[in-house]
Amino acid sequence: MGGEVVPRSKEVTIVCRCNDVTLDDVVKAIEAGIDDFELLRRYLRLGFGPCQGRSCIAIAARVFARATGKSLNEVLANYRVRPPIVPVSMKVLVRGVKV
Amino acid sequence: MRVLIVGAGISGLFIAYELVKKGVKQVTVVDESYPGSGATLRNLGCFRSSFTSPEHVVLMKESISEWLRLRDELGIKLEQRGYLWVARRPETVEVFRRLVGFHHDYGIPTRIMDVDEVRELEPGINYRIIAGAMFDPTAGRMPILENFIKLYLRVKSLGVRVLPHTRVLKLEGRGDRVTKAVTSRGDIEADVFVVAAGGGSRRILKTVGVDVPIVDIPRHPLVTEPYLEALRSALVIDWDTPGSPHITQNEHGSLILARDLEDTPEASIYSQRVDAFSHIAKPLIELLPFLAKVNIVRYWMGYYDMTPDHHPIYGPLPPYENLYIAAGFSGHGMMMGPVTGKLITSWILDGKPYIDVANNLTVERFKTGRLVKELAVIG
Repeated sequence: MGGEVVPRSKEVTIVCRCNDVTLDDVVKAIEAGIDDFELLRRYLRLGFGPCQGRSCIAIAARVFARATGKSLNEVLANYRVRPPIVPVSMKVLVRGVKV
Repeated sequence: MRVLIVGAGISGLFIAYELVKKGVKQVTVVDESYPGSGATLRNLGCFRSSFTSPEHVVLMKESISEWLRLRDELGIKLEQRGYLWVARRPETVEVFRRLVGFHHDYGIPTRIMDVDEVRELEPGINYRIIAGAMFDPTAGRMPILENFIKLYLRVKSLGVRVLPHTRVLKLEGRGDRVTKAVTSRGDIEADVFVVAAGGGSRRILKTVGVDVPIVDIPRHPLVTEPYLEALRSALVIDWDTPGSPHITQNEHGSLILARDLEDTPEASIYSQRVDAFSHIAKPLIELLPFLAKVNIVRYWMGYYDMTPDHHPIYGPLPPYENLYIAAGFSGHGMMMGPVTGKLITSWILDGKPYIDVANNLTVERFKTGRLVKELAVIG
């Protein structure tokens, strides 16, 4: 794990670029009582975009771990990467079908 | 009165919510994983009352009116943009006419649409391959993730003890009473026990000799990148294609596509099927050709906790006097959440359900053979 994240301004520190989630959104959701990382992800849609959480999950998980005193292993215990790894165009799935 | 609810999904939390509102002080909810980790956070967020059994119709109408009321009470969001069942074959339109007659008897304003009306509602549809449609304007969809988390936060703020990652290993009973739950984090005693654990309910109830016929059937939805308004109705269903392909667009613009896929009952929630992609995509691209241009970003699995008649099992579980069930929703647990909460609460506090028709849905029906008849199980 790296050093403490010291954002210049939480409002403009982007955690998830797919869904425009800021550090402030993450902090506020935790303060509102969201006490499980899988619920936090679903509330803020972290990892729901085309990048599959490649940057946001690591950042949000660290913020969540610090705020709740849980270990990173515990925070990420239920996290699963879901296929496809990169977005897949529908048309490549249906070769031979007239559209 | 101490109540222990097994399962922190939409059913368990709505039961907890109603109990607390009725003044029950000591309500505990346990879940083997995180809250909502079962079908609650894996469904498409769609709801309707246009079913084909009196039981579903009556309870679902009540549930939708409760969801609407909860907009103020819980900040619930939902939209009634309608379900559109599309017929490819002319004879299917005749089936729809009979269904519409049934729905009108129960005050649900479904109607038949001809091809021109369908084109007007959903310009993206390939009108050359359809014969007509049935439309239910009272059906709709909701941001289920956000709504569920609002319910979860409210339930906790009302003093309900929610214990995630706490697996019930067994229940223990003495005579006609269940006395405690043995969990992975110690024993929990209570005066009343409610099992609302989807397909997991079967395993838990077996430990006190109660058999409920619930089987988890895997479902496989796909979700796309977000797009501007691609669908106007809440759900479009391709009735004449096996597996009833269906598609909805969520509040963030993503399209969610699904179709029943032959799969092993009780298969792992992580036994992903690569063939699900083309199986789902093919008929829906035929019906909505613009889909050829969209990108799938993700795929997940969830379960329908199916019963033999595709209706939930509600109410007391003999021979026990203090054991109740709300499970086996067969793909409709999310939409039934509010009515489930009120039904089980009335059973516990008043000794009977506040809506009579729920009496038809107790576990007794599997002994007497009086199963509920339902023609359509979709979304």
